[in-house]
Amino acid sequence: MNEAIFALTLRQFAGQRRSLLLVGLALIPVALAVIFRLGEHLDQQEETANFLADIIVTAILPLACLIIGTSALGSEIEDGTAVYILAKPVPRRAIIAAKFAASVLIAAAFVVPATVVSGLIGLQGVPNEGIVAGFTIAVLVGVFAYTAVFILLSVATSRALLIGLAYVFIWEGLITELFSGTRYLSIRQYCLGIADSIASVSTQDFEASLGGPEAFLLAAGVAATAVFLAVRRLESFELTETD
Amino acid sequence: MTMAPETQPNGVASPPATIEAVNVSRWYGNVVAVNDVSFSLGPGITGLLGPNGAGKSTILHMAAGFLRPSEGTVRIDGEQAWQNPEMYANVGFVPEKEAVYSFLTGYQFVLLNAKLYGLSDPDGASRRAIRAVSMEAAQDRRLGGYSKGMKQRLKIAAAIVHDPQILLLDEPFNGTDPAQRLQMMDQLRRMADEGRTIVFSSHILDEVERLARNVLVIVAGRLVASGDFRAIRRLMTDRPHTFTVQSSDDRRLAVALVADESVFGVELGDEHLTVRTSQFADFTRAAPRIARAEGITIQELLPTDESLESVFSYLVKR
Repeated sequence: MNEAIFALTLRQFAGQRRSLLLVGLALIPVALAVIFRLGEHLDQQEETANFLADIIVTAILPLACLIIGTSALGSEIEDGTAVYILAKPVPRRAIIAAKFAASVLIAAAFVVPATVVSGLIGLQGVPNEGIVAGFTIAVLVGVFAYTAVFILLSVATSRALLIGLAYVFIWEGLITELFSGTRYLSIRQYCLGIADSIASVSTQDFEASLGGPEAFLLAAGVAATAVFLAVRRLESFELTETD
Repeated sequence: MTMAPETQPNGVASPPATIEAVNVSRWYGNVVAVNDVSFSLGPGITGLLGPNGAGKSTILHMAAGFLRPSEGTVRIDGEQAWQNPEMYANVGFVPEKEAVYSFLTGYQFVLLNAKLYGLSDPDGASRRAIRAVSMEAAQDRRLGGYSKGMKQRLKIAAAIVHDPQILLLDEPFNGTDPAQRLQMMDQLRRMADEGRTIVFSSHILDEVERLARNVLVIVAGRLVASGDFRAIRRLMTDRPHTFTVQSSDDRRLAVALVADESVFGVELGDEHLTVRTSQFADFTRAAPRIARAEGITIQELLPTDESLESVFSYLVKR
């Protein structure tokens, strides 16, 4: 990993409007958890688990990773500043590693606290039953997998944001709900599988069709494959022309 | 026809090539951007000249390893440029695009580049590079507030911070004011005098003429001429050369010159003669001999269409 590129990526992100968007995104589940907590609940644990699955895993996690992952290298490719890191004797794998590490750190810094705080608010007054821990670990694994995929998309296409949105809302939100066989190609399903295996709530809507170890291995495989492909893509990356 | 003087005028063999293109073509779908271009360049300054859209940036980007040639190879110091990031340890590249990391100060930007080159003393190298482009006064201001000319100078500082032997610059003088341009040209000349290979693209003839004798002229994706542009002009035997001559007796000299077989046109003006010849070397030898035989003193004898502009306009019209 290249430390200069890692530090540059963190600083780049801090200066972007996207960081404000992410702050807003991270506050949404916390605010919703407060509203949720004020209501009456038949089964507070089950409903909190469903809340974390529907709000954090389905929406906040992929959106935050999409915003960060596609801009980590994609914005430099788009505006032409990528030339300053590409015209250097730095191996392409070191560039991707630095971009990936910085993106994971940023995404985790927003999504993990939002998960923990929302979970603790939702479960206030009742036993935790491993729900917060389960979702925190699941979200952390999801950050690695989603970020890797979105970095790959940003290196592979100029329409990374659009394709990423289609993946999150059409593929994961619609198709994997309709056809159970597609769950193997859904990071959301991996996250739910991990959360489900750790949390000890009996019947939950989010109960995943993938087992915990299986889901973890699939997520790790997706992240590793996406990073590998991103490196390969960057090795044969061509700068667009102006002449 | 490609015109390429093979050796220097004094017969000395050219220095070893640091940049070499061998039968390089590049196309985008059905559009041919660069068509079967070959050249080799050694230390010194070379201007990559051509109209907008001629393929200059494509050639420069292939030399910089940012574009894969569709056919042929581009080599830098004998190594293939494409997919060879290690070569940047010895190559500096100044892109045409104005975009920089606007949130960084000038110093931080050059320092970032120094760190990415893996220099042992990035701070010292950054300060030297900033001094070389005379940007010390603005180095602590953010790049977002720089003028285009200032950004260009900082981009050059970032490209020379590791003291490269090869420097590739894409339209480096865009947006610079005359004073900045002169300063940048002086800097590039100094670097070339130290034995570096410098290639810059431009569509502005004046810039190329002032900085480089050696040119690569690209027209519609083809290399139409390479070498010293004055030598290229002399190779254009199908184009008459024009001289202005001032002498002690222009009228009598005109009569004597027109009788020489190297001359096919003489025009008598108020202050000088305009002589047209198809044989540059023969005429420059014949004119003093004829004047001496007639007892006439030649006060001035100047070729008038050896400028890069005339060479370029001839090449583009070919």
